[in-house]
Amino acid sequence: MAIRDTLLANLTTSLSSTNVSVSSELPFTAAGVPLYEKNMKKFYLDVDNTDTREMFLTLDDNDVFEREITLTGYLTVDAKNQPSDIDTAVNAVINSRLSVADCFTRECAVTDEILDDRINYTFEFRFLTI
Amino acid sequence: MAYIAVNTSGNFVALKINADGVDYDSNVSAAFVAGNANVMTVPALQEVTLNASPGTFRWQQLDTGSEKIVTTPATNSVAVTLVMDDTTFFGNVGSTPALVDIVNNKTKCYFRLGWQGLSSGDRYIQGAGYLTALAPTVSPGSPVWTTPITIEVDGEFTRGNVA
Repeated sequence: MAIRDTLLANLTTSLSSTNVSVSSELPFTAAGVPLYEKNMKKFYLDVDNTDTREMFLTLDDNDVFEREITLTGYLTVDAKNQPSDIDTAVNAVINSRLSVADCFTRECAVTDEILDDRINYTFEFRFLTI
Repeated sequence: MAYIAVNTSGNFVALKINADGVDYDSNVSAAFVAGNANVMTVPALQEVTLNASPGTFRWQQLDTGSEKIVTTPATNSVAVTLVMDDTTFFGNVGSTPALVDIVNNKTKCYFRLGWQGLSSGDRYIQGAGYLTALAPTVSPGSPVWTTPITIEVDGEFTRGNVA
């Protein structure tokens, strides 16, 4: 099961009581506008990006590899009329990282940017496993 | 000039240990005869350092312009770091106990270090000694157990080629 599926399943539950909903669609661009800008108050999550690198080199080909999986999530809300529970929703997205098992690092960094009359939240998920 | 490269599968550094309780002091090679089921191959070595340090004693005398020197007995050891393997760290290989038990019980062991593998004709250095300096470590940023191990050598190294 991809980490994206785990995160979406967790967020579908945890955001159900907020004014933010979850889309299972990828955050693709339609007619030059990303879906998450077109459909405000809807969280979109990109696919898993996996990178494998050596953690320990050994002299007999028993090397230990570390796998890094990164995903980016997007949420746009109206800057003038933000949902009253936007903090709750943002925290729920950040905490969804804890639903992913078997990883020794589970991080989520969030940045926000005001563009015109919108606030774009970008969530950078990062997971490390052996 | 011929480098001792260890980067191909047939030339990997190999460390074998026999701690089956038999006294091989008079013939260490007997501990590593082909087919001996008590020989443990230590996997996932990260770093190997062989130390052979003859001691010296210096003195000065009034009839020479430079110090005099004589040698004293050597201190020999083999230090390795490795990624811990559950099978060899906690499991016996025939009559050779697990690595952790060899250290805990201070069991005398015999070792053979292959410079470029241990196939027929390959060079090795071998001897007897005790495993010390076990210090397994792990951390959140490095979540796989690794450990150093030092073989404190009892007596001299001997060298040869695999039969």
